[in-house]
Amino acid sequence: MQINGQRGQNVRAVLSIGALSQMLKLIARQFVRGLLMLIAVSAITFALLAAAGGDALSGLQDNPQISQRTIEQLREVYGLDRPMIVRYGKWLGSALRGDLGNSMTFRIPVASLVWARLMNTLLMGTVAFVLSIAVTFALSVWSVLLKRKWLDHVIETLIFLTASTPRIVLALLALLLSLSFVTTSSGYAYELAAGAVVLSIPLISILLAQLKGSLDEVMSEDFIRTARAKGLPEKLVIGKHAMRAALSPFLTVAGLSLGSLLGGSVIVESVLGWQGVGALMVAAVRGRDVPVVMAVVLVTSAAVWLGNALAEVLQFANDARIRTSER
Amino acid sequence: MNDAAHSSKGRSGSIAVGIALLLLMYVAAALAEFVAPYDYREQVRLEPSAPATTLRFIDATGAFHLRPFVYQSHLTNSREYEYTEDPSEAYPLSLFVKGSNYRLLGLFDTDVHLFGVAGGRGDTAPFLHLLGTDQLGRDRFSRLVLASRFSLLISPAGTLLACLLGVLIGAVSGYAGSRADAMLIAVTDTVIALPTLILILAARAAFPLELPPSRAAAMLISIFALTGWAEMARLTRAQVVSVKNLEFVSAARALGARESRILSAHILPNIAGPLLVQATLILPAFFLAEVSLSFLGVGLQEPEPSLGNMLSSAADLTQLGYHPVLLLAPAVVIFVFVLATRLLTRGRR
Repeated sequence: MQINGQRGQNVRAVLSIGALSQMLKLIARQFVRGLLMLIAVSAITFALLAAAGGDALSGLQDNPQISQRTIEQLREVYGLDRPMIVRYGKWLGSALRGDLGNSMTFRIPVASLVWARLMNTLLMGTVAFVLSIAVTFALSVWSVLLKRKWLDHVIETLIFLTASTPRIVLALLALLLSLSFVTTSSGYAYELAAGAVVLSIPLISILLAQLKGSLDEVMSEDFIRTARAKGLPEKLVIGKHAMRAALSPFLTVAGLSLGSLLGGSVIVESVLGWQGVGALMVAAVRGRDVPVVMAVVLVTSAAVWLGNALAEVLQFANDARIRTSER
Repeated sequence: MNDAAHSSKGRSGSIAVGIALLLLMYVAAALAEFVAPYDYREQVRLEPSAPATTLRFIDATGAFHLRPFVYQSHLTNSREYEYTEDPSEAYPLSLFVKGSNYRLLGLFDTDVHLFGVAGGRGDTAPFLHLLGTDQLGRDRFSRLVLASRFSLLISPAGTLLACLLGVLIGAVSGYAGSRADAMLIAVTDTVIALPTLILILAARAAFPLELPPSRAAAMLISIFALTGWAEMARLTRAQVVSVKNLEFVSAARALGARESRILSAHILPNIAGPLLVQATLILPAFFLAEVSLSFLGVGLQEPEPSLGNMLSSAADLTQLGYHPVLLLAPAVVIFVFVLATRLLTRGRR
């Protein structure tokens, strides 16, 4: 325990001023990059949807009760008759002010609609993410501590099977299970739990493969042998030294997995009836609700960017800590 | 090293199983009308939501028959979709049974199906519904065989197009270097990070909701190519950068080969291995994307069968309770396909 305390203080080095300013630069760069990305993605989506020509009003043309004149008047009201670039500029201007327009099918402001849905998606996504991280860390640390062939094989098989089982299949199985034991009162809790498990399973495969792979690699390196030679208990060798070195590549992959979570939410939410952005996106595409499609693309891209930026900053901090403690 | 030898043996075994499964699926899909006992559009109004026909080997007298047979069954409770079998006459199964007309492989007109209920007296022969029927009385097994064809065609086509695009962009990026490279890297990294299915759906919104199969196929293939090239581009770029200054490339350049020729004849063949692995990883992703879109009602639509729209009718809660295992048969096909492609790349990263 004595050794433990001393090492802990040694390693808990504060970030130096230089590292801090570097980190601020990194954050600024990430911010600019994210902003550029959001503008590019929204512009491309906008152009694509505009080029298609169809909008929420084109369905009205089939209705003999509504004259062409009325439709044109409606187009004017919604500003759909203006050139594309003008409409995009107008959209971007109000989007920057937090106004994403009105949903054409739900007839309420898009911002409040998407915000409520996003919270639901983030709730399920966060549970899934925490679950994946917990399982990944538990399994990989356990396997490195135990050093058993059979456990490695079990984990390898687990990685393979979880990678091969699509979320759509898992979600349908969850729906099937719900028939047998879910009552209306436990419906919400079941949807959340089942959805999070389904979302997390393919993610566990990716994260586990990454962390286990880099931990195995790190464990054969010189500094681990040195740490062991110093008489450090194996738990500390892994927890303090190996894990820290293996963490950086893992953080990148974890940051990238946010895209996979948000993409997966489309299917999981649609199957289980969870009111999140994924299910909203499907409804918007089917209803040709352009403002909502734009908003979901914008919000999910922003979430993904935030996740990646956070991962990069954490990775930088982790690397800086390694550098400082090695000094 | 013992471990490596072991895993390489395991790997070739995995690859063999994967190829066998894929081959089976593709042959069944190519000969779908022959494998399916009935026309996938044929509605048997007297047998809606029927359970799977029971294959029997032991008759009423207790005698065992090697050749399976079925009994005629009738709808006896149309509210609960209850069917009762009539064991008075056994109808044995046969191979190469005459049934509905179709054109095999788009070449030969024929009416022979791989298997079915033979004999019978004219119209009284019972139907053989291996997976039961849907609400309209269409044979679910026949629809499933046909449905896999669409997904099995779309995903390799999309993969091929996305890979060509990705290799082109990645090769240009890695070969050009400097400014163009930096810009292409930024674009590639951004596209990789974005939530693919959301982007695919956004692109889908640009097309009319209802499309005939051929246009739906063209649309899906192009959407997949436009959203799925990035991983391939990143890998190609990294590979090109790692070999472009090796001696054999310099030698080719010294001999006066043109740059485009160096890229196509010297660099690309040398990096084909990893690119092929990457393509095998993209394939199931597109397969699932097609399934998802059809499931969500924005891919291939009824009355054409696809794995996705069969699943979405199965996911209907009023239906799911009846014969869950049979309803989820498309899910099994999806799982087997993804498993087979994963087996091909097992142990590689």
